[in-house]
Amino acid sequence: MGDWLSEVANWWFAAVALAMGYAAYRVVTSANVVHAVLALVATLGGSAVLFLLLGAEFVVWTVVLVYIGAVIVLFLFGIMITRAPLGYEAELDHPPKTKALAAIVAGAMFLLIGWTLVDAFGTEEVTASVTTVGDIGLQLFGRFVLPFEVVSLVLLAALIGGIVLARQDPVDIEDQR
Amino acid sequence: MSALFDYHALAPELILAFTVMAVLAVDLMPVPKYYAAVTGLVGLFASIIPLLTLALCSELSFCSDNGARLLFGDSYVVDTFSLVLKGLFLVSAFISLLLAVGYVESDRYYQGEYYFLLLASVFGAVVMASSRDLISIFVGLELVSGPAFLLAGWRKGDARSNEAALKFFIVGVLSAAILLFGMSLIYGVTGELTFSGIRAATVGGELPAVFTLGVLFVLMGFAFKVSAVPFHFWTPDTYEGAPTPVTAYLSVGSKAAGFVGLLVICYSAFANMRDIWGPALWIIAVASMTLGNLIAVRQTNVIRLLGYSSIAQGGFMLAPFAVASMVEGVELEGALFATVTYLLFYAFMNLGAFGVVMAGMSKVKSAELSSWSGMAQYAPGLSMLVVIFFFALAGVPPLAGWFAKLVMFQAIISGAPNVWAVLLGVIAAVNAVVAFFYYAKVVKTVWMDSVPVEIPAAELGGSGLNPALALALGITAIATIVTGLFPGVLSFFGEATRTFASGF
Repeated sequence: MGDWLSEVANWWFAAVALAMGYAAYRVVTSANVVHAVLALVATLGGSAVLFLLLGAEFVVWTVVLVYIGAVIVLFLFGIMITRAPLGYEAELDHPPKTKALAAIVAGAMFLLIGWTLVDAFGTEEVTASVTTVGDIGLQLFGRFVLPFEVVSLVLLAALIGGIVLARQDPVDIEDQR
Repeated sequence: MSALFDYHALAPELILAFTVMAVLAVDLMPVPKYYAAVTGLVGLFASIIPLLTLALCSELSFCSDNGARLLFGDSYVVDTFSLVLKGLFLVSAFISLLLAVGYVESDRYYQGEYYFLLLASVFGAVVMASSRDLISIFVGLELVSGPAFLLAGWRKGDARSNEAALKFFIVGVLSAAILLFGMSLIYGVTGELTFSGIRAATVGGELPAVFTLGVLFVLMGFAFKVSAVPFHFWTPDTYEGAPTPVTAYLSVGSKAAGFVGLLVICYSAFANMRDIWGPALWIIAVASMTLGNLIAVRQTNVIRLLGYSSIAQGGFMLAPFAVASMVEGVELEGALFATVTYLLFYAFMNLGAFGVVMAGMSKVKSAELSSWSGMAQYAPGLSMLVVIFFFALAGVPPLAGWFAKLVMFQAIISGAPNVWAVLLGVIAAVNAVVAFFYYAKVVKTVWMDSVPVEIPAAELGGSGLNPALALALGITAIATIVTGLFPGVLSFFGEATRTFASGF
């Protein structure tokens, strides 16, 4: 334990992890959707800092750009565009019985995953090998070009399907004429 | 990766990808609505051709290399196993598309993007059949399910369709997250992405407990996709609420894709982990067939009945797997042959059964079993089809289902002296009898009961069948009868997939 405390990075880790834990707790307990989304920003930001401590810069920027920059903004836009009620909402909650069950399941999963992860990787050291964006690009357009192309189709299908579900019915438009 | 890109091996995927785009483009042009569907059908047909040239490669002059083609550093494999499954996906997509044409175009929610989404989902299934690494198979699975979520919610103004899509989506996303978490744990332990690499890394030696957790997470993820008990609760609601042609596709195409993923990942990546996934699959198989059948008996709606019966049929498909992995000395090849053969037969029978439901709904405007009673008096042809498909699903000879059940029982009995194999065999036999009861109930209602009085006589009979639906019913009915009389026609393809398991 003495060793652990003498390392500066570990202090950083502890601080960030505690903050993340609290933010994640707020995501599920907040009765205000917008507050929950902002807490999610803090959680994801914390995970970016953890990746930074591990020396994985590329992942850090991916988390910041894609998750915080795109996904969260999409959430907020979604709330705005669908004119969902903002602010506190009492119905955004479950009965205590359900909550207790959820807490038990979540706690059990946390202990299970945490214990097995520490058991498997607890003594391993992070070797500081730098993966550059160039390396990732070569892999992406070499060996993994097929899944890469398939992902583009997933996105296209999601985009078009989203438009189809969101747009007005052709019949309704005719009715209005 | 070799300098020469193997375009021949990827030709089915390339043609299908082109078709997906072409359908979208045709839909935008000022041409009749059905052109988009025709484009899709032609494209599906065209992508079957390279499957044949790949399968018959040794016989053709322009085709040089033989055997399995390994692409992208063993991540993507084109062998007889994947060719057979791609054929299954393409043919069942062809029938699903035929089922959909009449329904979608007469519906007030018509939009041409329906075909685009259906074909995109099929494309994902085709990619999955060849994927031999964690990333490819996950991306393929996402492409299968993503468009399916949207298709389930196609009837926007219908609250039940919305419920179907939302349940399917939330469960689908949850299962994808569990699956991906499991995959990341496996990658963390082995440092390998390809299935062959994972298998090599797990030979002998002690593996940390986290690897077991990863394997179980991956199994759970796929169990959701194939709607195995206890991960099945979304299935009946989604099947009932989604438009019927979409349900037909979900119960065959997307379910088969999940099975293929499960098969491939268990047999090739977790080949040394039999003692982990064997017992898990045994429990899932028994629970699926028993619970699925018991609840199906009580259903009064034909679509819900087929939904629960498809859960039970999934249990039958998993049974050979479970036996082969738990009993020493039973070869995996036999189990693989049984499961793939069952899948091939099931695809035709189940698509046909849903086709009959659609035709029945166009006659009486309801999928409630009570309103179907006495249908034989005003629609004898359709009632004959009810007999063919429901008895085929029940496994009555000489209709297709009996052979699928036979190979399934053969595979289970091959582990006979073992207690678990015998127990599974007994449970499966009891379930086959229970299943016969409710399939026969549908046939009895249609043929023996009298027409309900509250339906005005003038409304009965309804309009004639849509030609595309009639064609789909014809194809599946002929396939069900012919393969029942000559099961070798389809089991030949099942036989071809044995090479996959014998490769290890």
